[in-house]
Parts: sequence; structure tokens; C-alpha cells
Amino acid sequence: MVVYSFYIFDRHTECIYAKSWLPDSSRPVSGSQPITNGSSKPIRRDDNDNTAKLIFGTVFSLRNMVRRLGGDDDAFISYRTAQYKLHYYETPSNTRFVMLTDIGTMSMRNVLHQIYINLWVEYVVKNPLSPVEHKGGEGVKNELFELGLDQFVRGLM
Amino acid sequence: MSYYFAIIGTQDNPLFEYEFGTSKQGGDGQPRFNEQARHMNQFVVHSSLDIVEEVQWTKGDMYLKVVDKFFNNYISCFATAGNVKFLLLHQPPAATAAPSTSRSSTSIGANPTSPQTEEAIKSFFNEVYENYVKAIMSPFYKVNMEIRSPYFRQRVAAAGKKYL
Amino acid sequence: MAANKASRLGEEIWKTRIDKVNAELVTLTYGTIVAQLCKDFDNDYVEVNKQLDKMGYNIGLRLIEDYLAKSNSMRRCANFRETAEMIAKVGFKIFLNITPVITNWTTDSKQFSLVFEENPLADFVELPDDGRAQDELWYSNIFCGILRGALEMVQMQVEAHFICDVLRGNDTTEMRVSLIRYIDDEMPPEDD
Repeated sequence: MVVYSFYIFDRHTECIYAKSWLPDSSRPVSGSQPITNGSSKPIRRDDNDNTAKLIFGTVFSLRNMVRRLGGDDDAFISYRTAQYKLHYYETPSNTRFVMLTDIGTMSMRNVLHQIYINLWVEYVVKNPLSPVEHKGGEGVKNELFELGLDQFVRGLM
Repeated sequence: MSYYFAIIGTQDNPLFEYEFGTSKQGGDGQPRFNEQARHMNQFVVHSSLDIVEEVQWTKGDMYLKVVDKFFNNYISCFATAGNVKFLLLHQPPAATAAPSTSRSSTSIGANPTSPQTEEAIKSFFNEVYENYVKAIMSPFYKVNMEIRSPYFRQRVAAAGKKYL
Repeated sequence: MAANKASRLGEEIWKTRIDKVNAELVTLTYGTIVAQLCKDFDNDYVEVNKQLDKMGYNIGLRLIEDYLAKSNSMRRCANFRETAEMIAKVGFKIFLNITPVITNWTTDSKQFSLVFEENPLADFVELPDDGRAQDELWYSNIFCGILRGALEMVQMQVEAHFICDVLRGNDTTEMRVSLIRYIDDEMPPEDD
């Protein structure tokens, strides 16, 4: 199983965290711009702004459509293309977690949930010095979170 | 027996005072200090502080028992770890009013130095101390501030009624 | 019954997933904060209430995430009545080990009261006897802010305020919570 990249969007639809584990060559998302210049580095915002926006637009529309068809409690979990699989997880506080993996991966819903409760809440939310709102796309810069996330994801692969 | 209870802060400043009388042996809880001598209570208690300071480090206990006597006034003391002193002046009824029968001499009221009296005062101090700690835990209380809490006064009154 | 389920959930989380801390530490810390605020604002209690509410709001914004993570309930409440149950029997239970009583619902199910039979924040507290604190200061006002902040994060705009407090000499401590509206999802900005 391979994890390509990971995004967090806050309730203001802002992308507040993005990270890619991609080596340069294999890039599943044919974004208009190159994603990163090295593996396992936080994606630089300017490079990736558009990709993140597109991803958010997609999952947001999908989620709304799913709810319209399946009722308010229905949740969109993942979609798959020929190249990659996108996993989606949303908390009641409207924080959205998105993970892109290879197509053979099973559901990552639980993994995203774990990231939320064990990494996001523990390291970012509970850190009194980290802002609650990330206005203007400042993004999360939290060493413990990044380290934990990297270890956790590498542990999966 | 009449009682005058005072709490003295670390700067020898009064924090609280309360006068009451015995409720045992059919007492009505009213102090019976001689009107002319009543204002002396504060002086008597204050003057005993010197002796308290001498005694307080010689005992391992916070309860120092009777530390001072001024004519018919006995002073018992309880010094907290924070160096706040509880002082209780107890005055048995004037000698004329207390015939030395065996019955009254064993009662708490009549014999200020008897073990029973010591025990009763100890219980009183302990209960007051418990409530004192709660009173000073109030976030609006500062060290050496006068204790104005009406609840605390009630509790002291209750403790006095219960033990003395 | 939903109410029972909420109680059981709260009880279970409290027993298994909560780190405990000395209650007096919390009481004294909060007391110090309130006393300091009173000092800083020269006993302008109306302002102190506001500050407490603001602090609570900021706590609430974060606390809700911890609540969601601990309660593992990744499902929205079906209605405001369920929300009230969860606040009282899970929220207050897991963070303070108290369960305020829910009462005095309005007929439209948009307003209720929480009656606090015990309040760990207010142990030992006696309000200053300056003749105003008893009428103006809402000592535990931080709760109002916490609820407001936490519920805003789960898309409910509420208004919360105390209407009586035993510290002021009332018989009960009661907070009124009213739902103003459900907040819509925020839409991504239009691309141009």
C-alpha cells in the first residue's frame, strides 16, 4: 500500500495542512503545477494551492451530493480513479481529512479517524499556542504533529 | 463561662473576633463579661501573643493548650502552620457565682485547666480550623485580610455551641 | 432511551478515557483567574463576566475536538434536545464529573436550563462583600463561553447566560441556553 498525499481542510474550507510522500516521478494527480520537489516534505503552498483547492471542491461537491441522495447521515468515504484512490473523513466540527493512496488500498476511514483523535487533537488542538483558526492559509506548523503523522503513515506502508 | 475568641494574623493583626457564652449545663450561649472589664479582653489576648511566640516552637502540636492567665481569664491557643493564631479567652463565672461544689468543678465551665476543658477546646479549635481553611480558600480572600464571611461566623458559633 | 444512553456513555468515558486531576487544583486555579480579573478590571464585574465568557469561548473551540475524539461519537445530534442530553451527561460528565439537570424546555425545544447541583469551580468561594459582586458578577461565567464556543464548532449558534447562582444567595445555580440558529456549511470561495 502506498500513501501519496494528505490534506486537512478546516471549517472555513481553507486547506490548513498538506503533505506529500511522493517521489518526483510517480505523480497521480495531474495538477497544473508540480507537487513537490522531494519525497516526504510538506508541500509548499504556492505550488500546491490549486491542487488543494481542486481537491476540496471535489470532495465538497461529492459530499453534498451524497447527502442529498442518501440523507444527512450518509457520508462519502472514498472514490477511485485508474490512478489513485481518495479517502475522505469529516468530523462533526467540519474538519475534513483527505488522503490519496494507490488503488489497492482498503478503506482508510479508520486511519483518518486515528489521525484526527491521536495526532490532530492531541498535538494541534490541545497545543495552547497553536491558533484555533488558521486564517489566510497560514497552515499548521507543528513539529510533533508532522513527526507523528509521518511516522504513522510510514508505519502503514 | 464566657468566651472571647480571636484570630490573629501573621502581623499580630486581628482577623476575626467573636464573643459567646457556654451552652453546656443549661447555659444560654450569651457571654457574661463584666461590662467594665469587657474591653480588656482584646488587651489580654493581645498581651498573650508574646507567650504564644515563646511556646509555639516548643511543642509539635498546633494546639498549645492554656498559655496564659490574667486574673480570672485563661487564654488557650492554637497556632496554625501558617503562623495564624487562634486565641480563646475563657473566663469562668466570677468566684462568687461559682460555689466550689464538686459537681460544678468537674464541668467544662468551672475548671479552665481540667483535661475535659482542654479536650473540649481542642475540638472547638479543630472545627474552627477546618472552617478557617475553607474560608481562606476563597479566591477573594487574601492573606491577613479580615475574615468577614458570615458563613464562617455561623460555623464558629456552631462549633462554640457544640463543644463549649 | 437516549437519555440513558448518554449517561452510560458519559460514565464509561469518564471511567476509561479521562486523565484525572486534583479537584482543588482546578478550583483554586479558576478562582485565582477570576480574582485576578476582578483586580485587573478594578472590580468592573460586567467586564469580568465578558472576559470569562471570552476565555470560555476560546476553550470551547478546542474542547469540542477533545470531546469528539473522546466520545468517539462522529454523528451529529438529531435535534437540540439530544444536544442538551449530550452536553449535560457526556460533556460535563467527562470534563468535570458533574451532570447538570436539564429542565425548563420551551415548547419550541429551542431553550433549556442547566441546573447545577454541584459546581466544582465554586467550591469554597464567597463573593466579595462590596455590595456589587452579589448583583453583578457571574462567577462561573466561563461555562457560558465554553458552550457557545463548542457548539459553534458543531454548527450551532447559541446564547448562554446564568440566571441565578447559589453564590449570590439564590437557591440554585441555573444557566439558560438558547439555540439561535444552525450555521450553514461554509462554501469554498468562487474561483475566478
